[in-house]
Amino acid sequence: MAYIPPRKPVGTWSRIMMAYHRYSGSWAYVLHRISGIGLTVYLFVHIWALSSLSHGRAEFQHEMDIFTTLPFKIVEWVLGLLVMFHAFNGIRIAVVDLGEGAKYHKKLLAAVWVGGITVVAFMFVLIFQEELFGHPIF
Amino acid sequence: MEQSPKILRSYSKGRKSGAPSWMWQRITGLALVILTVGHYIWMHYTPESGHSFDTTADRLANPVFRGMYIGFITIGMYHGVQGCWNVIRDFKFRPWITYTLIGSLVIAALVFLGIGYNTVLAFDPTKP
Repeated sequence: MAYIPPRKPVGTWSRIMMAYHRYSGSWAYVLHRISGIGLTVYLFVHIWALSSLSHGRAEFQHEMDIFTTLPFKIVEWVLGLLVMFHAFNGIRIAVVDLGEGAKYHKKLLAAVWVGGITVVAFMFVLIFQEELFGHPIF
Repeated sequence: MEQSPKILRSYSKGRKSGAPSWMWQRITGLALVILTVGHYIWMHYTPESGHSFDTTADRLANPVFRGMYIGFITIGMYHGVQGCWNVIRDFKFRPWITYTLIGSLVIAALVFLGIGYNTVLAFDPTKP
């Protein structure tokens, strides 16, 4: 009989992660919280960045010239990943909590991934249309 | 879904349990799905649509848009702060750490809401 070494967690965090990894819904719960915190932080940054509107045209336009560079477009797309996962999974949570969703929550989670990935792929084309096609297509 | 009205009524009574906040988190969340996805598509479907002073000025000249932005940041901030509040509380820190984190969060949210309202309401398209 093969020797199977005992899998002892090295700390609290690894114990939590090992407890979670068996269930897809648990991962959705963790990802929903991480994406939620990320979006809240982004909301603060977004409000701060757009406050340049009250400083006049020149300052706003200077800031927007920076935001339309490639690194910021990548950040914008990654933000889209967080938004879409949080939004689709949020609908799933509402259906589970308020309706009959608990009976088919795993199918709903599959729909979250399929819907989210489809929208995010479309967003990739929208955001990077100039880099992909050399000119705007939308 | 037929049990939803009953759930809504029962949760509206539990004022001290945090249940109304739980329900509001769902309601604001569903509103934000529409607002955020709509905002994301509308403002970012071309580089010009969300990053031009003139396009933004045209939009902010419309009182409906101004109202929508004010509602959007208010609902978004409520939902975000409420969500972070829940995460902080679930970690069961020492009470002084919990109070410091939640207090800082609420103060920061109020300050940034003020900045957001000022940006929308005091916007002057003629400022160079």
